[in-house]
Amino acid sequence: MKRTGLLSMLVVGVLAISLLAGCSSKEKLHIYSWADNFDETVISDFEKEFNVDITYDIYANNEDLLAKIKAGGGGYDLIQPSDYMVETMIKNNLLEPLDKNNIPNYVNIADTFKDPAFDPDNKYSIVYTSGVTGIAYNKKYIKDPIDSWEDLWNPAYKGKVLLLDDNREVIGMALKKQGFSNSTTNETEIKAAVDNLKTLLPSVLAFDTDTIKQKMIQEEGWISTVWSGDAAYIVKDNPDIAYVVPKEGATIFSDNYAIPKGAKNKALAEKFINYMLDPKVSAANYEAIGYSDPNVKAMEFHSETYRNNKMINLSEDELNRVEWLSDVGDSLQIYDRYWTELKSGRE
Amino acid sequence: MKKKGHPLLGIHSALMMIFIYVPIVLVMVYSFNNTRLSGDWKGFTLDWYVSLMKDRHVMEALMNSLVIAVISTVVATLLGTISALSMRDFARKWKGPLNGVLYMPVIIPDIIMGLSLLVLFSQLQIPLGKSTVMIAHITFSMSYVYVVVNARLAGMGRQLEEAAQDLGATYWQTFRYVTLPQITPGIISGALIAFTLSLDDFMVSFFVAGPSSTTLPIYIYGQVKRGISPEINALCTLLILVSITLILLAQYVLNRGKGQKKHKMLPF
Repeated sequence: MKRTGLLSMLVVGVLAISLLAGCSSKEKLHIYSWADNFDETVISDFEKEFNVDITYDIYANNEDLLAKIKAGGGGYDLIQPSDYMVETMIKNNLLEPLDKNNIPNYVNIADTFKDPAFDPDNKYSIVYTSGVTGIAYNKKYIKDPIDSWEDLWNPAYKGKVLLLDDNREVIGMALKKQGFSNSTTNETEIKAAVDNLKTLLPSVLAFDTDTIKQKMIQEEGWISTVWSGDAAYIVKDNPDIAYVVPKEGATIFSDNYAIPKGAKNKALAEKFINYMLDPKVSAANYEAIGYSDPNVKAMEFHSETYRNNKMINLSEDELNRVEWLSDVGDSLQIYDRYWTELKSGRE
Repeated sequence: MKKKGHPLLGIHSALMMIFIYVPIVLVMVYSFNNTRLSGDWKGFTLDWYVSLMKDRHVMEALMNSLVIAVISTVVATLLGTISALSMRDFARKWKGPLNGVLYMPVIIPDIIMGLSLLVLFSQLQIPLGKSTVMIAHITFSMSYVYVVVNARLAGMGRQLEEAAQDLGATYWQTFRYVTLPQITPGIISGALIAFTLSLDDFMVSFFVAGPSSTTLPIYIYGQVKRGISPEINALCTLLILVSITLILLAQYVLNRGKGQKKHKMLPF
């Protein structure tokens, strides 16, 4: 009998806990985002100040996010798709237009990040953080000045080149190198870029996105295509690493705030976005997570080290030669085909 | 007389073991490594376990996983046991096909199960969350409980129950004092397997999870995309240890229940 008693007590207990957890009278904000994307203190301050509960669930890539939202929303109020995914979601009618009246702090955003190509007038999204895919290299091994994508092709770095494992990023890089748009739909241009990339293959150590940081820190690779935010991360552990936005131009990307269609707490989500765009909050948040802050008014509250970090704060000159990846529609199949060809040609 | 296998078979098994366990052991070793960067060994530390305990999101994911695992285990064990018991009384003609249906979730690929459940939930407009994850876990772990309890029932025969009823026991008395004690080891090991499956499941949970139902495996997957941190290694180590303990416990209980007879291993 004893065992049954214990078991039923356990069941009742657990049920009670889960019911209680569901019964809190506070308003709830359901965030669906990348892992560790916000500073904890900033989040709990918002919970206290506005008497709400925030739930924070994570996804690992944009495609997972799209699948979830497309399949029926999942009940989230705030999501953080990357630039091209915002475009895809708009096309699929999956986002709510933002009510800017609820987000007066929107004016704090730097002009560079307003009205982006993927979402004209920021109707559906506001940039959260951004970066540029440039070149990181180790000054210990590479003495020549690096300022061009062509430098990856230098035979002296054979077997020490790392590339992101990402179709659009890598082909986009080769397209920029030859002076084309990184989002071209012209097959001849794509082919030219991929043919060029094939000549780089013998030098490539690995196509890697997840552990490219580690490989650079541990000096397995000398030179690589990396996101500026990752470069800032790498430098903390290996001060010999330098970062450059090549002269031919590069790809800029961003993660954004957006509200999925049918969100139950849309106004609260907008309140949260507005709160995050407050200069002081913004400074505290980005200082902690170490990503670039698009908020111009926040700069005065940032630390000296943060402001002087050239990988987090790209210069105007550098930002002038970047291009967003835009949705290429059906041409994506061309990219996919050439990408597979490129990577399978390695063996 | 003992029959000896071909020597190559021994080598083959050794290689298999290495292939399966070396990655797991590496994760465990690195969870104690005193450096943020995974490559070299820089001394022993428990820092990663400490910082895990302090992380609010990890603790939330852990709580979610536990709540979901406990509830789905209890329900799946009840349902699985009841279906095994009722299946025993079915005519042989129906047994085959019904058995097949009950075995199905064991065989169906997780991804299809997750996807179909997601479609079902959104068709019925059930909001995704902890409850949908629980329903999903109950659905697949019930079958495992059924398999184990069913095997147990098949092995025990009807003689004891018939004897009890001959001696005047009512239906319930027979069940309570004769049937149940005999199948308890099966039920317990079924429950332990169900618990482990629920705790480890990624694919199905991933599809049907909603707000505040991020489980540990989903959390780990999301973290890995940010770069593999030693905390993740520590978390994986803990998860592996819990799973192994539960599976061993299930084996032990099942074997003890079978008495001295040498027992076949569980089918997975």
